[in-house]
Amino acid sequence: MDKPIYIQTLSLVTPLGNSVDQHLDAFKNGVSGIKLVEKAGFQDTTIPLAIKSELTSDRYNTLLREALKKAQANLSTSGRTAVIVSSTKGNIDLLPGDTFAGTQPIIHEFFPKTEIFIISNACISGVIAINTAADYLLAGNYDQVIVIGIDAVSEFVSYGFQSLFALSNETCKPFDKSRNGTVLGEGCGIVLVSTQKPDGFAVLYKGGSSSNDANHISGPSRTGEGLVRSIEKTFKRSQVSVRDIDFISAHGTATIFNDEMESIAFGRTNLDRVPLNSMKGYFGHTLGAAGILETIMSIVSMEKSILFPNLGFKETGTSIPLNIIQRLESKELHTLLKTASGFGGGNASLILQKQP
Amino acid sequence: MKILAHSYVCPKGTFLNGKLVYDTAEEENPLKSAYQQLGVEYPKFYKMDVLSKMAFIGTEILLPFFPKDADLENDLQLIFANSSASLNTDNLFVESYEQLKTPSPSLFVYTLPNIVTGELCIRHKWYGENCFFVEETFNPLHFSEWSQIALNKGNNSCLCAWVEAKTNGEQECFLFLLTNSEDGGNSIERELSTLIKQYRNE
Repeated sequence: MDKPIYIQTLSLVTPLGNSVDQHLDAFKNGVSGIKLVEKAGFQDTTIPLAIKSELTSDRYNTLLREALKKAQANLSTSGRTAVIVSSTKGNIDLLPGDTFAGTQPIIHEFFPKTEIFIISNACISGVIAINTAADYLLAGNYDQVIVIGIDAVSEFVSYGFQSLFALSNETCKPFDKSRNGTVLGEGCGIVLVSTQKPDGFAVLYKGGSSSNDANHISGPSRTGEGLVRSIEKTFKRSQVSVRDIDFISAHGTATIFNDEMESIAFGRTNLDRVPLNSMKGYFGHTLGAAGILETIMSIVSMEKSILFPNLGFKETGTSIPLNIIQRLESKELHTLLKTASGFGGGNASLILQKQP
Repeated sequence: MKILAHSYVCPKGTFLNGKLVYDTAEEENPLKSAYQQLGVEYPKFYKMDVLSKMAFIGTEILLPFFPKDADLENDLQLIFANSSASLNTDNLFVESYEQLKTPSPSLFVYTLPNIVTGELCIRHKWYGENCFFVEETFNPLHFSEWSQIALNKGNNSCLCAWVEAKTNGEQECFLFLLTNSEDGGNSIERELSTLIKQYRNE
């Protein structure tokens, strides 16, 4: 890579707290944001969700404003700035109107006159957004890009996942033998991607890519083909090899087919022995926000030299056994791989490294 | 960077490199008619949402113009954008659970705009990179920036699209295929804005 690209966490707002520090405490203590919510499912069924219970209305805008406020306060760099938003649905409360229409004005309240890009590429949006930010910096268009991942829980998405029989009836157990579906969550996370070295802890972005399964619009590939191709391309671009990877932040939705697909892909890329977690047991599946939220907590892992357990995992439940992190562990983490997979057959990955 | 070919699909008709190829102006179901005139056997077409149907037709007619010596399976990047994401299908899905009292899984899977690129990848066995942006209007500068970045990263070519289905019934899919040119560095912005104006009869 021609010039170093830094990534720093700016803010994190989820059911587990309103700051990165609060999330560190929650993760250390194995606290999950998931609970059973009455009447949240179709025909008033009870479903598990990771929702911010203090929010009663205007969930999307409130999450966005809260996270932007913190990000603005924590931003130590300046220069030519762009914003990239990663979201699957935008503000669904605006239906039948345009769900993405209200986002830009809110961002401009905090970062006036910045160019804003919105990426809506299902569950891999967050990882693609960080990759796109780095691309823009390498091309020299901007000095820094503020990347926002956000999605709010809604009946729309809950009913949709219920109609696909993709939801768990209890909690989220990524990669576990008894997993039976995902749990939806909500949140907003913001990272800074910059060519300037920011104050405080920051890691280096080494490279990333995406790939399509070319297989099915809503079902994961049986062979992990797209994820394998994305991981291989990311390794090549990052000039990092498999043995350099200390930790994988996987997607792990806890649906039977997704987690099985990931295990096959990690097996095929010789990554099955690398310590790995999915954070869906803490956050639920936050869709367009997931890649950002999970990257933020991965950066925290590197900063604090801690491997966080894969909440909800007890027993191997994939045909290729993975090295799932089961207890809080201290470990120096130099290089990590983040992956994501989603509807539309998308897969994406990126590699982060601690500064020498 | 240069434009290898372009197509435009709207209810009035399907156009290839500026010329009308399927006239559907008088048709009750223009996209179905364009598909039939195309003469391709792909039954999945009927299950697709409007965005995917338009992009499917527009891409099929562009196929002869794709670089022959390139590894398109890996090195073709898809860069798509529109302003209303999947709003049309979103509203149909709401109707399925509010009025018809059964959330429809077949509608729900199309409530993401990037399903369009997924459909094309399945059809053509493209495993390369995809990205879907939501923008207020067709922005030639942004497409030019995204494509240049994609080509600089080692992709051989980019299939770009502005694919829009508004709730007021306006529908269009402007597809263009880009690759690096030997003379290099050409700005395609002006060309793109002229082309879309011509297609829209502005």
